[in-house]
Amino acid sequence: MEAVTWLLFAIGISLILAKIGDAIIEHYELPGVLGELIMGMILGNLVYFGIVAPQYLPIVSGEQYVNTMTNIADTLAKLGIIFLLFLGALDTDIDQLKKTGVTATVSTVLGVFVPLIMAWYALMAMGYPSREAFAGGVLLTATSIGLTVRVMMDLGVLKSEVGAASLSASVMDDFLGIALVIFAVGSGGLFGLTLKIIAFFVITGVIWWFLVDYYIKFAEKLHVEKGILGMALGMMFLFAALAEGWFAAAIEGAFMMGLTLSKLPEGKRLMEDARAIGYGLLVPFFFVHTGAMLNLTVFEHKNALILATVMSLIAVIGKILGRGFGAWITAWGRGRDFLMTRENAWMSLQMGIGSVPRTEVALVDLMVAIQGGAIPPSDAPEFIAATLIFITVSVLITPPLLKWAFKAEIEEAKAAKAAQKAERIKETKERIKEIKGNQ
Amino acid sequence: MDIEHALEKFHSLKLVDINPGISSMPVVSENSDMMSVLKTLRTRHHVWVVKDRDSMELVGVIKYMDVIDVLLPPEAHRFRLGMTSRTMKSLLGGAAKAGDVAEKQVLTIDENKTVLDALIKMRKYKTQVLAMVDGNRLVGEVSIRILIGELLRLIKVSGAQWKQ
Repeated sequence: MEAVTWLLFAIGISLILAKIGDAIIEHYELPGVLGELIMGMILGNLVYFGIVAPQYLPIVSGEQYVNTMTNIADTLAKLGIIFLLFLGALDTDIDQLKKTGVTATVSTVLGVFVPLIMAWYALMAMGYPSREAFAGGVLLTATSIGLTVRVMMDLGVLKSEVGAASLSASVMDDFLGIALVIFAVGSGGLFGLTLKIIAFFVITGVIWWFLVDYYIKFAEKLHVEKGILGMALGMMFLFAALAEGWFAAAIEGAFMMGLTLSKLPEGKRLMEDARAIGYGLLVPFFFVHTGAMLNLTVFEHKNALILATVMSLIAVIGKILGRGFGAWITAWGRGRDFLMTRENAWMSLQMGIGSVPRTEVALVDLMVAIQGGAIPPSDAPEFIAATLIFITVSVLITPPLLKWAFKAEIEEAKAAKAAQKAERIKETKERIKEIKGNQ
Repeated sequence: MDIEHALEKFHSLKLVDINPGISSMPVVSENSDMMSVLKTLRTRHHVWVVKDRDSMELVGVIKYMDVIDVLLPPEAHRFRLGMTSRTMKSLLGGAAKAGDVAEKQVLTIDENKTVLDALIKMRKYKTQVLAMVDGNRLVGEVSIRILIGELLRLIKVSGAQWKQ
């Protein structure tokens, strides 16, 4: 059979396994993306361990496997990242960003920079070059709020002050995590790079912000099948090309296009169609492809284990410290008297713990850093292994930590419910007594 | 008048002329509880959410299909990158007021546009209702229900007959 047949087979099997893996992991109330990664890992290691010949599963990475089919699979996965970011931005509530309060802002900024700086220095101390160490730090910056929201909902604390602040911090957190990767992969001097970044955000974020409305109105006038979607995706790819050309980070263009479109009702209406392309094909393929990049033989070298341990520790401690301290110094806007109280410390700790999970943005940043050359091919397997491990650790550790941190609130809610129940029973008994007395 | 002429006339009608007016539109304030929203949606396909009835500042719209997200438990929703907008609409997830559930990005149309313009926009965005606004103020609506009613009225008044 021809090589293209096996590529089609690999895409087909990847999508089917991705959805099955997703469903299995979701059943355990964990992010489905983990299931997609695990399925990819299984597929990839069938090749790495010599069980399946590489030409039958052309989705694995590594210099010895490169051919036209793996290049096509790489491109498809890259389109998956672009769509993931586009859809994420399109679903963003810009008003939420505008409403981000002081506590959420300060804690988000520190929650992003503390783990970044900790990892940067730790990896440099381990012997990694500065640029690579910085890229490693960027992987730890963005929180995946989904899991936190789910756990907080289960615990009934999402509407609390901490829950609301965590939610409003999530948009800025994603934005910073996605933007910072430019500094890892961008080439040229810091001054030149900064100028390019400013120019890019002026074009895509300021000028386009005002033009997007006219562009969509123009697209509306083209009475062709899916004309508006096609025009929007076309512009998204132009932005992605600009970002790829300037910083080797196409995702920035896709993200900015999604963000600017999200302010328009017409843009929001494109979501269902774009979602069908993204979550039906490209995004799951990206996650399987990423999972398939993890060659388990990497754990034969202790470097990979050490890197995974260091990054997992910083992922948890760095976020709790950074975001927690950020929330603490603002004293939740209640003034100096509140600063040294136990309540301030505890709420800040809750805020910090809520920011621990990482998933999609870490993977996106990882792929951008590898493709952009910030993480060289020789170190890529170690970083892939470390990233998948710190993602798993952060996702598994968050629910029990949140339950512990919100123990008092949960007890309070339980006591209130029990009191309400007792009150209702008492009222019913009295009514029965009354009825019996009347008889 | 035959049906073609009736339809031509129907297509050229200005939306301002078929606007039912605020008093007959389903409107709730953003602080209304979800029970009043659900009661309205028993008989209507959508409900407009305004800041308050005095200002009529449009906050959003809750459509019939949005009720699915409202009634589903939070765990039935998927969490992905970006906002968890659908999840936040779940009653069990904490949504309590109309403002929590309303879709804030509302498709609008100018009241001086025609019925044909409205139909084209509805088809393009797969929506059955468009708001008419004056600045941020809700002044009217055009929906499939209104359009059907208007067409039937036009046919009845003109005495047009369906030709097979």
